[in-house]
Amino acid sequence: MTLFTQQLFNGVALGGVYCLAAIGLTLVFGVLRIPNLAHGSLYMLGAYVTYFFLTTVGVPYVAAIGIAALILFVLGVLLERLVFHPLRNSPHTHHMIAAIGAMFFFQAVAQAIWGADFRRMETPISGSVHILGAEISAQRIVIIVTAVVVLSLLTWFIKRSIHGQTIEAIEQDRTGAALVGINPAMVSMLTLGLSALLVTIAAGLVSPINLLSPTMGDSLNLKVFAIIILGGLGSLPGAIVGSFALAIAETMTSTYISSAVGEAVAFIVLVAVLAIKPTGLFAKAVQR
Amino acid sequence: MTSIPRRASRPVLAAAVISTFALTLGACGGGGGSGDSGGDGSVVIGYTGPLSGGGAAYGENVQTGLQMAVDDLNKDGLEVDGKKVTIELKSLDDKYAPSTAASNAQRLADQDKAPVVVSPNAGAIKAIQQINNGRSKFMISAYTSDPAIVQSDNPLTMMIPPNFESYAKPFTEQGMKNGGKKLALLGTQSEYGQQWTKAITDEWKKADGKIGADNSIDYATVSDFAGPVSKALSEKPDSIFVGGPSQPTALIMEEAKKQGFKGSFLVMDQAKLDEMATVTKPKNLTNSVGVLPVKEYDDPGTKGFLKKFAEVAGEKKVATSETALNYQSIAIIAKAMEVAGTTSDPEKIRAAVPDALSKVDDKYKVNGFPTKITDQGHLMNPDLEVTYLDKDEKYTKVPVEQVSDAK
Repeated sequence: MTLFTQQLFNGVALGGVYCLAAIGLTLVFGVLRIPNLAHGSLYMLGAYVTYFFLTTVGVPYVAAIGIAALILFVLGVLLERLVFHPLRNSPHTHHMIAAIGAMFFFQAVAQAIWGADFRRMETPISGSVHILGAEISAQRIVIIVTAVVVLSLLTWFIKRSIHGQTIEAIEQDRTGAALVGINPAMVSMLTLGLSALLVTIAAGLVSPINLLSPTMGDSLNLKVFAIIILGGLGSLPGAIVGSFALAIAETMTSTYISSAVGEAVAFIVLVAVLAIKPTGLFAKAVQR
Repeated sequence: MTSIPRRASRPVLAAAVISTFALTLGACGGGGGSGDSGGDGSVVIGYTGPLSGGGAAYGENVQTGLQMAVDDLNKDGLEVDGKKVTIELKSLDDKYAPSTAASNAQRLADQDKAPVVVSPNAGAIKAIQQINNGRSKFMISAYTSDPAIVQSDNPLTMMIPPNFESYAKPFTEQGMKNGGKKLALLGTQSEYGQQWTKAITDEWKKADGKIGADNSIDYATVSDFAGPVSKALSEKPDSIFVGGPSQPTALIMEEAKKQGFKGSFLVMDQAKLDEMATVTKPKNLTNSVGVLPVKEYDDPGTKGFLKKFAEVAGEKKVATSETALNYQSIAIIAKAMEVAGTTSDPEKIRAAVPDALSKVDDKYKVNGFPTKITDQGHLMNPDLEVTYLDKDEKYTKVPVEQVSDAK
């Protein structure tokens, strides 16, 4: 029972990280209609920029994540403007090739600046909490709480604020939104910036319990794609439910079957969803 | 109307493309070298290894050792058959893919006339062994502890590190002595990691130990080590087998101690205890048996090597056996060229290795220098040792009885 509680908390914390990463990806798909294959490398860059401010510059942990999130927001905007925007009228394969190009470019940049070695990010948050006999490290509690707070803020932003509502409007009908005066180009930039910002928060939170390397985004990239396909491409609730479902499934199969199966769960789910219900659990947003 | 914004965006796009290209070229520049060589007075030593992607750190460690040796040998001045020869290292990236490694090796042998190609990966070496003794001939300086590469009887292969199977017995003895009879398996899921897991399992069973479920995880993709560690500890083991790249291995051991594990660790040779201490507190690594760190060797050249390494790689970086063993193996190859009196005939160079071993300058002896080479081409250091890191963070050397390379 203790093992179960322990792993449940580990699964929820992992779900929080997946969630922050998957939401950005699904937003980008909803607005730009492209699978941003460079999402994992934005996560990796976010982690390195946080590391840079925390370790090299020496600002406090939370401030380092904040500054890194803003820098990555700008980088996301630039990525949209310089890479995806010029390709907006070309066939879809071009976006994917461009995204893969961006991915390799970011990896090469990170390796050139920080080297290929693994790096460790120290955090001021230490200690652990006992809940129901399980020992949960404080960092994991912080991950869960931050994920909930950020998701609430994001929901408020998209549902209540003018700029956020433009994102939803574009997702629903690009032409219609343009006709009522919403600038799709601006919204595209905002969305990619936002997705980079969210994924940086995820990276900043998870890095202390993991290691930084130029390829750290690769496995996350595949998993968040599985998540948004499971949830329904472009669907926010789908991304949230999908993240927690997949993370808990992954931790539990690792615990009670084997870790090889745990790592494969995401892809078993992916294949099953594509075969049985290709539109995902929350299908509303998939319309062209 | 619509064409105006498009035109305006073109220079921006062009600038982006050009700067991307320029940056990429800059990033690649470090790995390459000039292709014009192989003529009088110079010889190319080829290297194919992972210089980008997940294995890049490993590939770069090897490359550092090779480059340091080449620089030192050139400074000493190498004379072959009465002529002064400059050695040039040419590195190509294979991203850990055996097929790319084989075509890189072919290219190094054909275009650059490299008599020796270095590769640090068993899969790649097996692929290169298909092409190094046919139309083109070149020697493979093989950095892998997988004995399969010498079992294939390739006449132009030189295996550098000890056979990993030799470690299973001392690891088991030390693990049981300092922990207990029940072992949990928490190694990495790479091919090499699985070979290790099997070797340790066999040896542990032979010594009447008990083995729990195989909890191997992929060190490169698992995002949170707490789960796998909790699972392994739920079986209440006395000892845990861990190991993959140093840094994730350190995190796993830290997590295990945090969750209250008091037993001993068996640390696979891929992880280096002193390198692990750069990401976690040394007290998290105690009560473990692993390979001896480079700085603990007493070879005549070890101190000088560490000093030079700090100059090249910075004070913070830890010199590992990947760097040190490749450093001394290039010195062996250079000496073999001198003894053989040729820089172009790989068969003669390989045949001269046994004689060359005793003639290598002391300063190149840094990490358990070999005294002989087996007929299959395995360099042997008779005084191989592993180490036990005790509770006071002190290293104790443990001698290793080496197993045969035969199947």
